[in-house]
Amino acid sequence: MNQTISPSFPDDADSAQQALAGEYVLGTLTREERQAVDALLPSNPALREAVDAWQQRFLPLVSLVEPVQPSAHLWQRIERSLEQAAAASPVPAVPVRAARKALPWWRDFESLALWRGLTAGGFALATLLAALLVLKVAAPLPDTRYMVVLVAPQDKSPGWVMQTSSARKIELIPLGAMEVPADKALELWTKADEWNAPISLGLVKPGERVEVPLDRIPGVQANQLFELTLEPPTGSPTGRPTGPIHFIGRSVKVS
Amino acid sequence: MSVHFDDFDYEATLLACAAGERGAMQRLYEQEAGRLFGVVRRIVRDGALAEDVLHDACVNIWTRAASFDPARGSARGWIYSVARNLALNARRDDARDADVPHEALQAIDDQASLAAWEAVSRSDQWADSAGRVGHCLAELEPVRRDCIMYAYVEGLSQKEIAARVEAPLGTVKAWIQRSLVALRACMS
Repeated sequence: MNQTISPSFPDDADSAQQALAGEYVLGTLTREERQAVDALLPSNPALREAVDAWQQRFLPLVSLVEPVQPSAHLWQRIERSLEQAAAASPVPAVPVRAARKALPWWRDFESLALWRGLTAGGFALATLLAALLVLKVAAPLPDTRYMVVLVAPQDKSPGWVMQTSSARKIELIPLGAMEVPADKALELWTKADEWNAPISLGLVKPGERVEVPLDRIPGVQANQLFELTLEPPTGSPTGRPTGPIHFIGRSVKVS
Repeated sequence: MSVHFDDFDYEATLLACAAGERGAMQRLYEQEAGRLFGVVRRIVRDGALAEDVLHDACVNIWTRAASFDPARGSARGWIYSVARNLALNARRDDARDADVPHEALQAIDDQASLAAWEAVSRSDQWADSAGRVGHCLAELEPVRRDCIMYAYVEGLSQKEIAARVEAPLGTVKAWIQRSLVALRACMS
């Protein structure tokens, strides 16, 4: 029966927003994603509306959970806190989680298959999330045209965000700390659909914000592929990616 | 399934909380603490932590009652969203984000409660007790429905769901995304 409903991935901003809101309510977002949504909700009525709707949709499922009585003294404890509530600060924020460890995912993936398999829709969720963040952070910048969320190929956890900071530069922003073996370096590559092979944009340091000049390529267009691969310290010896892909994503137009 | 919550006026009670009426908060607690605690405990899987979360949820409900907007949904939905958000944020990072071995995962499950909901979900009546979302979930393939239920009811991460249903993580992610699209279409 469900097969009669098109199982397509979200392919537009509204669907992506619905997917994000749905996973937020479902509880399947990562901690960083949850926190990002929490931060966005007060200033994003459309997202809030989508979250509200999902909460109402799923609410009846709580009737499947058997009630369990908490210990008898809990109410007294709550009552004491209510008395102090006027002076009390809200629940403390959860600390942002630190380093993300690199996973040996590449043993299971053929690079080419991965590239082929990457659909824009598959990244809709992370892409939208980052787009929302960028729009919020960089709203006064009229020249932001494209952005990219680079995600780990295996679990699609976002690792870097890129945004065009001018027509000739793209800024690469790390979303967390990451480790690279001492004898290796991260190299940034890009490939537009009609290009035969990826072009190197140079080496980047893990966890460091960097502005990358785009003088080796015509520019950035929609759906252009970007990836970070693990290469020797001086970069790929062949001019093509030789090491495993650490993060990968495609550009989306944001303004 | 008991349905006494139909008789309880959650909205009026929240409004009374917003007006500072302590007795309203106590009535709400007496009405809903058992179910709230059950829901929270499923997600955080630890009784003491679940009590901390329920405590924080009640304080939040009390202090934020004035921000409840009936136009945005039901009062009961708002109460559960406050509690579930806190519970999801309180899930243990280390257990969630590490590669949890299947055996360890099973060990930390509350097997009795899991069996209870599985029995409910396999019975003919479960869709009725869950209302419209139940009927729409019933139209999903069983394994995809399980993914949604493991996430919403059990609070499992995608990685844990993948281990539970013995499917690749990417497959589970895709199932969940497609199920959400299907559920939204079914319930619109």
